[in-house]
Amino acid sequence: MISDITIGQYFPGNSILHKIDPRMKIVLTFAFIIIIFLCKNFYALGVMVLMLAIMVASSKISIKVILRGVKPILFIIVFTAILNIFYTDKGETWFEYKFLKITSGGVYIAIFMAIRIICLIIASSLLTYTTSPTMITDGLERLLSPLEFMKNSVHTVAMMMTIALRFIPTLIEEFEKITNAQKARGADLDSGGLIQRSKALVPIFIPLFITSFRRAYELAFAMECRCYNGGEGRTRMKQMKLTKVDFVALFFIVAMCVAVIMLNMNFTHLL
Amino acid sequence: MPIVKTQDLSYLYSTGTPFEIAAIRDVNLEIEQGELVGIIGHTGSGKSTLVQHLNGLLKPTSGKIFVDGLDIWESKQTVRDVRFKVGLCFQYPEYQLFEETVYKDISFGPKNMGLSEDEIDKKVRMAASFVGLKEEHLDKSPFYLSGGEKRRAAIAGVMAMEPKVLILDEPTSGLDPKGRDTILGMIKEYRQDTGSTVLVVSHSMEDVAKMATKVLVMNESKVAMYGTVDEIYSRSDEIIKMGLDVPQITRVFTSLAKCGVNVNPNIYTVNQGKLELAKLFKKA
Ligand SMILES: Nc1ncnc2c1ncn2[C@@H]1O[C@H](COP(=O)(O)OP(=O)(O)O)[C@@H](O)[C@H]1O
Ligand SMILES: [Mg+2]
Repeated sequence: MISDITIGQYFPGNSILHKIDPRMKIVLTFAFIIIIFLCKNFYALGVMVLMLAIMVASSKISIKVILRGVKPILFIIVFTAILNIFYTDKGETWFEYKFLKITSGGVYIAIFMAIRIICLIIASSLLTYTTSPTMITDGLERLLSPLEFMKNSVHTVAMMMTIALRFIPTLIEEFEKITNAQKARGADLDSGGLIQRSKALVPIFIPLFITSFRRAYELAFAMECRCYNGGEGRTRMKQMKLTKVDFVALFFIVAMCVAVIMLNMNFTHLL
Repeated sequence: MPIVKTQDLSYLYSTGTPFEIAAIRDVNLEIEQGELVGIIGHTGSGKSTLVQHLNGLLKPTSGKIFVDGLDIWESKQTVRDVRFKVGLCFQYPEYQLFEETVYKDISFGPKNMGLSEDEIDKKVRMAASFVGLKEEHLDKSPFYLSGGEKRRAAIAGVMAMEPKVLILDEPTSGLDPKGRDTILGMIKEYRQDTGSTVLVVSHSMEDVAKMATKVLVMNESKVAMYGTVDEIYSRSDEIIKMGLDVPQITRVFTSLAKCGVNVNPNIYTVNQGKLELAKLFKKA
């Protein structure tokens, strides 16, 4: 079902990961992703996996939820792994049949890449699982605020993102509601060919669009009624401040980065 | 044989996530043909979830549903058939209108049933007259109707399928008293004229008291009571304990009876109250 998509979902909580300043969390997530790509061998990647395991454990989010987030891209992972297995010709040959050839190097690279992609997905979903959408955009806005000359557009884009993110669950909910209402009137959504199926969506999308427009107007009115007029001179209710947790997190990531670089240099021959 | 029957019906939302929640638990129900059942309960007590099971929109986590004696989840065909046997009109149904004209929108259901043009036309006009929409409304865009008219057009869209069981989820929410009375009146009339079974979800005791033959009280995901209006209102203490309202007039008469005045405490409409008081003064 459409509501099974968990990427971008936020799970409220009180863990250490939830407490890290959103600015720091965004920067460190980026750093983590970059370091994943710096890894050149299994030792370095092992450090990353260990680090990720620590992060998952400290987020207090159940493993089930995390794994479900990986499920939608399982296909991509398997697909790249298969490509890697057959396209790499390196090391011992384990299996050969006509033009198909599996080598030890290919299998290594396939596994290596698969782990990399999984780490990537888990790390970025951890960011959204433990940070509310408003915090993320707020954090982004402040990270980008040094771009003084286009400050207003930074604010506008951040506000647009906040609103868009805020309304994704609402839209999904609305979509399901309208779908159910039309099903109750006998709408048949899952039979027939492509054209018939797309036609069957008309009774769902028209009400959905109309509701969205209505909602947009209402929201705009509500914002104007509270004297919203852009970012200029706007102060904040929640001040962000770096605390001890943030520096501990920073320390961990830096330590990990150093470890990865050292391991990369010491075991160059492995891949 | 009851027209709708449920057996140990339970439903969990968001299974396998931290948000898992039991919306209904072990619901056993038997609703007889021709009743007008008022379903009341707090917000979140599971009323909407329950009624969405009765036409097969939600598949129970456990338990069974029988409509007309048939298990609705027996096969794909039975699930599809039950959509037309049990018509469900959601809360705020006006947001499901989509066609260019009111006529076309009301005919959406009958068309899906695969009826002929003539039959569709007959049903649309019948449904429109039940909800008091005039000829000139039918050719208008549904988006140009007033709020109350939109609501009625949407209800007509479900009535036009002539379901054996008509379910309306909070059909009067967000309407003014006049719009509310119009809708309740037309529901009553629809049932009298067609003899079908009608279930109305509501959180207003007064509305339910005015029209229902049976009352189903939901509380904390369970069926707390099911019985005739008299039976339920004679237990008004328990209802108040659940945090639900009994009609004001019932409160007046229970208090009077408690004070030692010789009146029947089970009064739930103003009319009954009038008669009861007249009786009292005649005696005196
Ligand atoms: N789509 C949904 N996803 C998750 N939980 C839901 C959903 N719909 C309802 N619930 C939950 O199920 C419970 C019963 O809801 P509902 O049947 O809508 O009650 P009612 O109609 O009596 O107000 C509530 O606790 C509600 O939060
Ligand atoms: Mg409800």
